[in-house]
Amino acid sequence: MKKITLKITINGRKHTLRIDPNLRLLDLLRDELRLTGTKEGCGIGECGACTVILDGRAVNACLILAGQCNGREVVTIEGLTGKDDLHPLQQAFIDHGAVQCGFCTPGMIMSAAALLDQNPTPTEEDIREAISGNLCRCTGYTQIVEAIQAVADDN
Amino acid sequence: MIPFNLVRAESLEEALDLLDRQPPDVKIIAGGTDLLVELRSLSPREKGPGIVLDITPIDELKGIEDNGSTITIGPLTTHREIAASPIIREHAPLLSTACSTIGATQHRNIATIGGNVINGSPAADSVPALIVLDAEAVFKSKNGERVSPLKEIFVKPYRTDIKEDEILTALRFERLPEGARSSFIKLGRRNALAISRMNIAVIIVLEGNTIVEARISPGSATPLPDRIKAAEKILIGNEPSEELFRRAGKEVSGEMINRSGIRWSTPYKQPVIAALTTRALREAVEKR
Repeated sequence: MKKITLKITINGRKHTLRIDPNLRLLDLLRDELRLTGTKEGCGIGECGACTVILDGRAVNACLILAGQCNGREVVTIEGLTGKDDLHPLQQAFIDHGAVQCGFCTPGMIMSAAALLDQNPTPTEEDIREAISGNLCRCTGYTQIVEAIQAVADDN
Repeated sequence: MIPFNLVRAESLEEALDLLDRQPPDVKIIAGGTDLLVELRSLSPREKGPGIVLDITPIDELKGIEDNGSTITIGPLTTHREIAASPIIREHAPLLSTACSTIGATQHRNIATIGGNVINGSPAADSVPALIVLDAEAVFKSKNGERVSPLKEIFVKPYRTDIKEDEILTALRFERLPEGARSSFIKLGRRNALAISRMNIAVIIVLEGNTIVEARISPGSATPLPDRIKAAEKILIGNEPSEELFRRAGKEVSGEMINRSGIRWSTPYKQPVIAALTTRALREAVEKR
């Protein structure tokens, strides 16, 4: 197995890395770069816990090889904000009690952020559609939808 | 994950060269939403591909073109792009609908129509829509080009006739004629992120109030994707009616049993595929 060179922008920072070719984007983020905000749930693209934004679109980091992201731009939950302040979505999730165990939260927020980037004024149906690939086992969907709606209403 | 080497092809020529040199050892990756799950499920003792060939950088395999009569879709076009395409929405709306039902947003953003076809799943949602559009598949290798009716590339579930040195380079079909109406309905275990239990694609063409052309293809119902000509015949020459659509639905379920045999799922699938067919035909007529 020959290592490959990967040039990738993560949360605005450019990296040039030597990586194993069988590394998933999720492994790169969590194990190599210690960006552990992105979670691994099912590992087969069913739960959405590993959702990140790749070139402006929400994707499951468990279903894409890191080597396929050459020259591309990734935003993770860590890259959503500056150092101290929270992103409006993060604050809204707190305010609306949309976090229970918290495991799905980073993925939910990344799906919501990708939606609001594309469509700043979504309907409730748009919001439900956008997070339909994200499972919450605490089943707090109502609060999650309300939190996203609140941020959309401010737009 | 099992070890392999990753080759990122920058051009079609480069990819075809590699496939020509060491074909049996190479597995092509596009969106990767099926392949990565498959590779991760292999135990370290099993033999995986020596080389995974990433074709996603190849721009000439992307995009949708309309030359006024024929629509050509590059195999690397994502389901999101097809679902949102004004060309597809106008001239093949059922394909737009089919692609919009696949997986969730995260999958539709990277999964490709070429992958959906070549993976060969009987539950693939884009396939019945492409079958009723009478689509053709174009393959290229170092030795030239091969064009095949899409229907004929399917050998058995999860197996197509693509050769080890070939790449699918285009899917193409004629625009739907004036007066054509179409519908695609998917039935999954839930609405979001489900693999189809069954689906159905229909096109009918009306002249006045008479059906002059009909094309019906059910998904996850027969071992190989196909049009159900016997059900189409029932419709042609007649005026749309609930009773006629019920007869066509019954014919589809009968044909499903002829081809697939009686299986554990038959008591469920038999009435449901008939109802889906009837519903899709009704929806097609009511839509304009």
